This record gives sequence, C-alpha cells and structure tokens, in this order.
Amino acid sequence: MSLSWHWLALVDERPDDATAAAPVHGADGAPAGFLAIWARRAKPLPAARRIDARLLDREGAEACISLVRPPPGVRLLFDDLAVQHARRAVLAALPLDAVTTLLSDASHFEGSLTVARGDGVARLADDPFARIFPARLLRVGAGVVGRLAAPAGPVIERYGSAQPWPQDRFAVAR
Amino acid sequence: MAPSSGEAFPDLVLRDHAGSERSLSDLVAGDPTVVQTYRGWWCPKEQAFLRKLVVLQDEMEVAYTRIVSISIDPPAVTAAFRAGLGARWTFLCDPDRVAQQQLGLLETTDTVYRPYVPAVFTLFPDLTVHRAYDGYWFWGRPTLAELRQDMRAITRAVRPDWAAPTPSPSVVDPGAERHEGETP
Repeated sequence: MSLSWHWLALVDERPDDATAAAPVHGADGAPAGFLAIWARRAKPLPAARRIDARLLDREGAEACISLVRPPPGVRLLFDDLAVQHARRAVLAALPLDAVTTLLSDASHFEGSLTVARGDGVARLADDPFARIFPARLLRVGAGVVGRLAAPAGPVIERYGSAQPWPQDRFAVAR
Repeated sequence: MAPSSGEAFPDLVLRDHAGSERSLSDLVAGDPTVVQTYRGWWCPKEQAFLRKLVVLQDEMEVAYTRIVSISIDPPAVTAAFRAGLGARWTFLCDPDRVAQQQLGLLETTDTVYRPYVPAVFTLFPDLTVHRAYDGYWFWGRPTLAELRQDMRAITRAVRPDWAAPTPSPSVVDPGAERHEGETP
C-alpha cells in the first residue's frame, strides 16, 4: 500500500536523501532555502512535517506557495474552531493547484502548504490558513509539488488522526 | 431509466464547478454519498432544496459522508450558484446532457431548458443505490431526516467498526493514555 503522507521541510541546504527538492525564493527574489519532500515512513528531520502524499510530483512545474507555520513554541489543536473554519473556507472557494495541512502528531495543527500557478497566484494572499498563523509567500522550483484534484467536500475531518487533511479516504475499508 | 434501489449508479465523468474533470467514484472515495440532480440555478424549488442541503452539510462534513450535485449548468454558472448558496461540496456540470441521457433524467415537460428531473440518490461507496427519490414534485424529495436515516443505514452497513471498539473488561488499563483523534 502506498503511503498516504510524506514529510516536508524548508531547509537551508539541499538534502541528499530527499525524494524531491527544489530551491525556494522569496517574493523579493532572495534565496530562501530548499523545499524538500521525503517519501518514507521515518521522520527525516526534527523540523519535517507530514503532508498529504499526493502533493509530491517530481514532474511538477515551478509554483508559488503559501507556507503557513506556527511561531516557535506555539501549538494549536487541529480540532480548534479556527482550523475548522479555515478548512471550510478552502472548500468554499474555487480550488488552487494543491493544499495540505502540516502535522507532527495526531493532535496538533502545524501549518499548511498551498500551491498555486497562473491566475491562482494572486489568491494566495487570501490563504484561509494565514488567518491562523503567519504565511510566507514563496516561489519553489520545478520537480517537487504537483496539482491535485480539489477536495470533494464537504468533509473537513481527517481520515484517521495521523492523516493530513485533505487526504480523503481511509487507508483500509472501515 | 434512472437507477433504483439496489442498482448500480453509473460512474459519471463530468467537469466540476471549477472546470476540472471528475469521476463520481473518485468524489465518493469510499464514503456514503448523497447524489442530487437539480433543474438549474433559476428554479425556486431547487433553491429551497439546496438550502436544506447546505444546512445538512454541517453534519455531513464531520461524518465521512459526501454530497454531489449535478445539473446542466456550465461551470461558471454553477460556481456562482454554489458560492451564493455557501455550499462546500462538489457540483458537476453536464451542459451537453450526456450524463442526463445516460441516467434517463431529462425533464420532458420543460422544453425550454431541458433540465434534469430533480432526483436524489443515496449511494453506497461502490455506487450501489440505497434509495432513489423522484423530486419532480417537491414533496417527493427526501427530508433531511430521511437523508440522515439513509446515511446511518449505509454507514452501518459499510463500516466494520460501526459498533465502537472497546476493550474487554479483562484488559482495561485505567492508567492507559487515550489515543487521540481516532473517533469517527
């Protein structure tokens, strides 16, 4: 069975062991490190967070991203009303290329990654998850993130607490 | 003829309200689902019924159950209608009336719009129809209570852990840490 989540981190140096990685630049064009994804069960770095595995696409084109992360030392339950409302707002809007929440355990919201290309880039500034924690608008090179089918809705729950939303089905029939 | 109880609902492939091609089986993705056909944005009966479904989505969104709506409206019209309703589920668009013909749901009494016959189907994850409702007359449509009963019946049938897994008395450890987030 394929993994339903992968690991993602924004790091200073390109990791040798990542499944995919590409340079990242800020809105001002300044280098901002590398966005890396690891397709494996074991956590590769302390800073890595779980993402919906479907985001990984080594053929994915260059993209703009909104990367939302909690400030150091801040933790928020995934079931917090603010996180619920952000998920609803994502479903209500026209879809962008991809979205995933970030997880480090079964209980806490650790941020989000939203991917946009073309006309959708301007809408990254209205990322609903950026109402919860600060967002960085970045440009990531090709070969890391793809384009997903939009979440079917209206489900806002995770399919198992370890699964990053919007991963949309149980791993086994239940 | 539209599928009836016990029959297979076709795995339609249509564009969604954002213009992306979607298959019904991928939208259902293992969950009990309400599939609804409606005449179009302009029909007061559809507006009234969809507002009821919008109320129900607050339960559907936490219950691993889904809604899919289908009409002949094109994506741009459908997206505007969906946004106005506040719906957060996927709407499918059949402006060429291909799926309408496949389902046998052309409303022959409306020769202007040639819309879908309003209908509601509650589906098992494998797209087998649990119940079919003919909504040509408004009162033929299911109430929210009936939809809840259908979702309960399907969920009970397809979730092996419908009866909550609990420890037997001999293995209960009162000091054990509860594993968070596994409640369905």
